Amino acid sequence: MTPKVTVNIDGANIKTARGSSVLDAALEHGTCIPHLCRVPYIESIGACRLCIVEHVVNGWSKVTTSCTLLVQEGMVILSNTEKIRKLRRNVAELLVSQAPNSRAIQDIAVRCGVKEVRYPFRNSECVLCGRCVQLCPGTFGVKAIGFVGRGKDRRVESPFDIRSELCNECGSCTDLCPMTVVPCDGPMKTGEEYLCRNCESKMAFAEEQGICISCDFGEGFQCERSPQNF
Amino acid sequence: MTKINTVKDLKALRKRLLKERKKIRATLVLCGGTGCQASRCQDVTDAVKNELAKQGLKRSVCVRTTGCHGFCEQGPLMVIEPGNIFYCHILPDDAHEIVTKTILDGEVVERLLYTDPVSGKLIQTESEIPFYRAQDRYLLAQNRQVDPCSIEDYIAIGGYSAFTKALFEIPPESVVREIKDSGLRGRGGGGFPTGRKWAECQKAPGDEKYVICNADEGDPGAYMDRCLLEGNPHLVLEGMMIGAWAIGAQQGYVYVRNEYPLAVKHARMAVDQARKIGLLSDKILGSSFSFDIDIARGGGSFVCGESTALMASLEGKVGEPRPKDVHTVVDGLWHKPTTLNNVETWANVPSIILNGSSWFASKGSKGSKGTKILALTGHIKNTGLVEVAMDTTINTVVFDIGGGGSNGNSIKAVQTGGPSGGCLPADKFDLPVDFDVLAKAGSMVGSGGMVVMDQETCMVDVAKYFLTFLQDESCGKCVPCRMGIDRMLEIITDITEGNGTSWQIGLLEELGSTVSQTALCGLGKTAANPVLSTLRYFRDEYEAHIHAKKCPAGVCQALVTYKVDAEKCTCCGICKRGCPHGAIVGKKKQVHAINLDLCQKCGICKSECDFEAIQVK
Ligand SMILES: Cc1cc2nc3c(=O)[nH]c(=O)nc-3n(C[C@H](O)[C@H](O)[C@H](O)COP(=O)(O)O)c2cc1C
Ligand code: SF4
Ligand code: SF4
Ligand code: FES
Repeated sequence: MTPKVTVNIDGANIKTARGSSVLDAALEHGTCIPHLCRVPYIESIGACRLCIVEHVVNGWSKVTTSCTLLVQEGMVILSNTEKIRKLRRNVAELLVSQAPNSRAIQDIAVRCGVKEVRYPFRNSECVLCGRCVQLCPGTFGVKAIGFVGRGKDRRVESPFDIRSELCNECGSCTDLCPMTVVPCDGPMKTGEEYLCRNCESKMAFAEEQGICISCDFGEGFQCERSPQNF
Repeated sequence: MTKINTVKDLKALRKRLLKERKKIRATLVLCGGTGCQASRCQDVTDAVKNELAKQGLKRSVCVRTTGCHGFCEQGPLMVIEPGNIFYCHILPDDAHEIVTKTILDGEVVERLLYTDPVSGKLIQTESEIPFYRAQDRYLLAQNRQVDPCSIEDYIAIGGYSAFTKALFEIPPESVVREIKDSGLRGRGGGGFPTGRKWAECQKAPGDEKYVICNADEGDPGAYMDRCLLEGNPHLVLEGMMIGAWAIGAQQGYVYVRNEYPLAVKHARMAVDQARKIGLLSDKILGSSFSFDIDIARGGGSFVCGESTALMASLEGKVGEPRPKDVHTVVDGLWHKPTTLNNVETWANVPSIILNGSSWFASKGSKGSKGTKILALTGHIKNTGLVEVAMDTTINTVVFDIGGGGSNGNSIKAVQTGGPSGGCLPADKFDLPVDFDVLAKAGSMVGSGGMVVMDQETCMVDVAKYFLTFLQDESCGKCVPCRMGIDRMLEIITDITEGNGTSWQIGLLEELGSTVSQTALCGLGKTAANPVLSTLRYFRDEYEAHIHAKKCPAGVCQALVTYKVDAEKCTCCGICKRGCPHGAIVGKKKQVHAINLDLCQKCGICKSECDFEAIQVK
């Protein structure tokens, strides 16, 4: 058996396996921390920054991502403070302004409490969460897809822009891509994007309390606690 | 080069070198840094050497080509010892006169002397030049004493005695204690206490450890690390050797920016020499300590200077930052404990060991000890590399060293700390270049960039410039940095084009603070600084762009109009002939006027007019 450690998340003492991340520990215990780029059982890259929490050390709190933070004995974590909710909302607003056409991203925005989007919408085809790259098993451990380019030119590509010989057609990449979940009302036309907020009533409780209610949003962002994904 | 096997050998070698040097009657110190090379200093050196040979002075006069002296805009430059005579803008043809007059007759060649732009006076010696006088040059001064390609030069001035002192007289724990007590903080940007970093790395479990020197220097306009590594590579190596001894590392790396070929060459040469002479080897000088250093070339992007990206790049992976929930002093290069320090940080180490921590701590302010090298540029009279104690005020740097505004313009602000630093207004110039003070004021010391800006600078445009740089350099991995910078730039572009609205100021502030708090690495965490600091001190300029649709400095093209000042116009007609768009009307003896419908705001008329009659408002 793996040794256990006790961490305190939002006031609850949780016993969890050494080596697991704070995000995993929280989800396991039923505390909802929104997340996007993390893929279960694969080392997190910390790219989406939605899973941020406050890590309190000697009275000082530090904002950090819970998917990359490993549990340690006696650790104190706050996942649902005013500060965190605001930061998370702002990050989710950036995301949804870039990809209003994704149901998963719309779900995340609503889950994170985004009420309005203050930037002009853009219809990107990819939010660069990196889930596909993370998941791609490739051939002999060499991935068929990867990130290329830097900054605003960053994109996911297979080498030389053609379907790579390393691709074994497993389909993992599209299965878990947040852009492949079709929005309820179908894709939005350019210039007519909006924040859908259709399912808002479902989450009033989750945002305030930070408790997992096995919500439907989880399907959108492939939360493994979501009933559809169980 | 003979190998040395003991400390005694090293001391004997130093004694011999010093004795040889006594025979020399004069030394011509020529700067051979990248800046002076650009102004063809090599030709000057060759001409001087030829001339000395011709006159039979080859043996008694020493010509030393050294690293950068910091006053690059005056290059090629030369200092003659004894006498400390300073010549600037030298041409190869001057060699004959210099040798016959100055060396043989002891006379000064007046036309090669430096003229102080403030007083207009000729100045004879280097130490009297205001640019140098107000500085506290400790590290930079050493550049003048050594030929960077000669380990003998370095050993002659006492080089490697700090390392041997540490190796044989000071146990690792005490070395760390000494560095801690000195108060040395990282010169690469963060200002992290070096001693604390070393202590954590020393304590970290594992036998295999690394030290790395960060010479990736990607800040536009910064070149202090280049100057040190190019000009005095052995000093940096000695610092690393002491660090390696303290934390227990067997291997070191110098990670040099790809665009620095001369620094790479000199660092490689220095490592080779240190190996040959026996200072980098197994069981160095008969001790139990083994250590070696390799030179690696940078990955070619700004973000590669970030600690985790640098280590990824050294491992042969893509140079991209990763989360640092476990510090690199425990989990660094190849997951081993690693101490990464900046070039200038390492260069400070030997003198601390040699002179003691209290010597170092006697300079600077309460929280920021020692000196800092600044890259002074912008709208001032003297630009170059400047080294000052860390309690020196910005006023001293800008006015005493920099000589104040060029063209007599008044100075509005300084931007400190590189692209992700902040802008401070002139009424904050009484602040010292101190890590904590500048951070509190919304800027930072950073790696030491200092750009002086006069009244003709638009601060919104400045923020836009730095955001554009950071957008290009962001790796794009994390959402707040990639999308946040993009959106901030979108808003600022709106503002500079006259499409801004007042609520966008609040949004900029909120977004900036979100990016700072949530981004993955230091680039994103500091990317909002140029925006936040200009909003803090120059909010009125943002408001003028938004409400009055005016750019007060007359920089943002969309918001300015060109007009002829009727009082100044002499009706010469040059502007009319120059305007490629046919936008200027006027006849002989008639004040000219600009047709705003046709004007493309190219600015050609303004540069053509000899009477400053074209106004931009
Ligand atoms: C985007 C980015 C670029 C950086 N570039 C450099 C650099 O070019 N040189 C450097 O010494 N430090 C750079 N740093 C700081 C390093 O991450 C690191 O803190 C430093 O090298 C540690 O050395 P010090 O404590 O001696 O300053 C950079 C940091 C960031 C976030
Ligand atoms: S199912 Fe919904 S409430 Fe539960 S953890 Fe996932 S997103 Fe949060
Ligand atoms: S903050 Fe910017 S540079 Fe750093 S990891 Fe994120 S995207 Fe890359
Ligand atoms: S889930 Fe942690 S950063 Fe994306």
